[in-house]
Amino acid sequence: MKVLKIGKIEQVLDRLAQQAEVYVPMLRGQQSGFFSWNTYDEGYDDLMFDILNVYQSPKHVVLPQTEKMYSFSQEGQEIKIDVETEQITPKIIMGIRSCDVRGIEHLDDVFLTKGYVDQFYKARRDKTTIIASACYNPGTNCFCESMGVNPTDPEAADIIMREINGGYVWDVKTEKGEAVTKQIEDLLEEQDAELFPLKPFLRKVNYEGVAEKLKDMFEDPMWEKFSEPCQTCGICTYLCPTCYCFDIQVKAWGEEGYRFRCWDSCMYREYTQMAGGHNPREAAKERFRNRFLHKLQFFTERYGRPLCTGCGRCVVACPAGVSIIKIIDTVKEA
Amino acid sequence: MNYTEKIREIAARLLENGQVDMVIAWEKGDQEYQTVPYIARTVDEVSHIVCDEYSIHNLSNILLRYRDGKEKIAIVAKGCDSRGIVRLLEDNQIKRDRLYIIGIACDGVKDPLRAMKQHSGFEKVKEPEDGLAAKCLDCRQPNPVIYDELVGEEQAPRGEGDRFARIAELEQMSPDERYKFFEDILSTCIRCYACRQACVACNCRTCIFDETRPQWVGRETSTSDNMMYHLVRASHMAGRCVECGECERVCPVNIPLMLINRKLIKDVNEFFGPYEAGMEYVEGRKPPLSVYRENDPDDFL
Amino acid sequence: MHNCSCENPLVPGIVEVVKIIDETPDVKNFYVRSVDGGVPFNVMPGQLAMVSLIPVGEGMFSVSWQEENDHLEFAIKRTGLMTDELHRIEVGQKLGVRGPYGNGFPVEECKGKDMLFIAGGIGLAPLRSFIKYCFKHREDYGKITILYGSRSAADLCFKDELFEKWPQEKDTQVYVTIDNPEEGWDGHVGFVPAYLEELNPNPEGTIAVICGPPIMIKFCLQSLEKMGYSDEQVITTLEMRMKCGIGKCGRCNIGSEYICLDGPVFNLAQLKKLPPEW
Repeated sequence: MKVLKIGKIEQVLDRLAQQAEVYVPMLRGQQSGFFSWNTYDEGYDDLMFDILNVYQSPKHVVLPQTEKMYSFSQEGQEIKIDVETEQITPKIIMGIRSCDVRGIEHLDDVFLTKGYVDQFYKARRDKTTIIASACYNPGTNCFCESMGVNPTDPEAADIIMREINGGYVWDVKTEKGEAVTKQIEDLLEEQDAELFPLKPFLRKVNYEGVAEKLKDMFEDPMWEKFSEPCQTCGICTYLCPTCYCFDIQVKAWGEEGYRFRCWDSCMYREYTQMAGGHNPREAAKERFRNRFLHKLQFFTERYGRPLCTGCGRCVVACPAGVSIIKIIDTVKEA
Repeated sequence: MNYTEKIREIAARLLENGQVDMVIAWEKGDQEYQTVPYIARTVDEVSHIVCDEYSIHNLSNILLRYRDGKEKIAIVAKGCDSRGIVRLLEDNQIKRDRLYIIGIACDGVKDPLRAMKQHSGFEKVKEPEDGLAAKCLDCRQPNPVIYDELVGEEQAPRGEGDRFARIAELEQMSPDERYKFFEDILSTCIRCYACRQACVACNCRTCIFDETRPQWVGRETSTSDNMMYHLVRASHMAGRCVECGECERVCPVNIPLMLINRKLIKDVNEFFGPYEAGMEYVEGRKPPLSVYRENDPDDFL
Repeated sequence: MHNCSCENPLVPGIVEVVKIIDETPDVKNFYVRSVDGGVPFNVMPGQLAMVSLIPVGEGMFSVSWQEENDHLEFAIKRTGLMTDELHRIEVGQKLGVRGPYGNGFPVEECKGKDMLFIAGGIGLAPLRSFIKYCFKHREDYGKITILYGSRSAADLCFKDELFEKWPQEKDTQVYVTIDNPEEGWDGHVGFVPAYLEELNPNPEGTIAVICGPPIMIKFCLQSLEKMGYSDEQVITTLEMRMKCGIGKCGRCNIGSEYICLDGPVFNLAQLKKLPPEW
């Protein structure tokens, strides 16, 4: 098998960074997330390949927090539009876990299928190579397996790195993976290696039949009870690897400006606020219910799989202790 | 600190004799370090209530949801939480006669959010830190400033050192250095608005950042928009922030928000003070920046 | 440059405003034409388009009518930031338009039926495209009844067609009502749902199409049910806040259906399966 030794990782990153933006899990100051290796600062940053996962998911590589769409300039009644055609540099996401890879698969479903193809997303996604890191040690809040994710074999990965003693097995899966591997072939070694076994999950949920059951639970009192502590702060939507809702806004000064899209959250009241004053989801409970129904029922109805990958980030970071695991359990038992 | 039994007793009593319609307190989550806000509405539900060493949430924030209703509400309040309640009363967000405040003298709490994060596998920790939450180390008001019933023995303030020490350090920096310092930390903001949602003083019905006519601050996460957001929000907090520290605690990217808030607390105290927000409820009294006096300092204009 | 469509569905094409008609104090009808002449795209009745006053914002509106290959009409009410600015522009202004979006009215399935159009306020705008389509293909449809109500006489849209043109059409009845009595109005006074029950149109072989404020739609649906209309006989077109228009940004959903993609036209049978969040 091809193996990448730990000591050679930085060289591999340097080599790949010559032709692409390589996003790796890092601890940068007080934040952990996927940052570009090209901006690595040895004194300040910490590479985190060996940690379970980082707080901020890598979805920003294919769906940036803020993305310029087109700029315009106005003269009297005339207007001219210029679509952003900046050359997208190739991107590599390395060290991404299966839960986050599944997140990107969901984003592919949303942006590339069903009638329209989002050109901005496509331009980035086509040039993105995914080098996943197989996960053998589920954490205290991980339940990806219960949501249909394979922790050691993510579907959309181009290459899978499998941890062994002293390094990683380099498992190439697709042509895109081959192309990237060619760039660093000399840094890999041939070696027999024994893979770690997958440790048992500490958290499990039974999602089977939940989407069906939810169809009749719209007015169930559980929504009132679960949404009570929720502050509609939006942390869950921003850390979630699958949440994709966006807003389109304009920034203009004088006669020029640009239109951009940015992340939005269904938890905010303004999300569905109409100009005339009507708001179909005015109360926090309604937005809360809509979010979980979207994740567990509507998305399943539309795309076949639930919009939750079991990464556990929302369970950890919610200041009010809201847990999607509890909600799935409650529905299952109902 | 563990007042679980006492609080349950009081809650059951209040619900039973119809004095209140609901009791806002805490309950346990799955893990032993996970305590979360909870509302009990019947005597049966009282058995869920806990009040232990992880009861850090500022429950006064939940009152905002009921500001338009008529329910009678009992709420458990530590020192910092009670200052939040005073904030709401001063801002006319809720009427005093609807509240039954169960004050608890607090000797410091631990942060369940920090415990969750450290046990989650998302952080490199040798041993999970099990000490007091960051905001408790500086505490000046462990005892509730307003209550209808008090539980526990009065505690001495924990913070003895200068809480403005870090602020003084920042004030020594040159303007350029200081700008770079704040630019660095505020550029990481992802604009999730959790700080605003967790804040008691942020109680406007339509927040300025949600206005469209005009849109005061853009939604891009550019450094300039981020800085505008934080500085405008902090300015709206000037003279009103009760230093409960929730904003900093909930931030998913760990921005040290209390630095900005403390600077404004220091300034308001110097220019318009002596003044500490939320220390005492006197009906009709307004925060210093809501009142104009002819001798207000204006040499910074 | 012709509009978006396949190339980049989020980027508009440029059109010119060739005529503006003041329908009511807060509704204007904008006629737009592609900069190289003609319409930017073909539209079926009931479909939507994103109109943008580019430096200000975008809004999703139903196309009130497509005049062959000449122009598109948008009847827009002044309600918010963007529509406010839009009401200040003059003929000659360039706008951005992208579309068409949505499923449109089932014009084929309704052939041979009697049509009952019920509208309130600006809700007449989307229905107008269907009404005019029926008149254009008059022989394909049976009896046509139009019931329209507004807050006051000044707030009635398309007065010209409402009082002059449409009543002249073959086998067509037009009923107009306003909410409160006022001087100079000797027509019917009362809310649309009440007037509907008063008129009690026969459900047999009829398709009812409703559009208006959500509260009016809800009452009319109840009335129609009382009057014996089946769920498949009742169609409505809904409105939600929209941003992308292509079913991706997530906000215009009712249950698992996106109004911009699977709607905005739904029949009552479909609507009953969805959560009551509109």
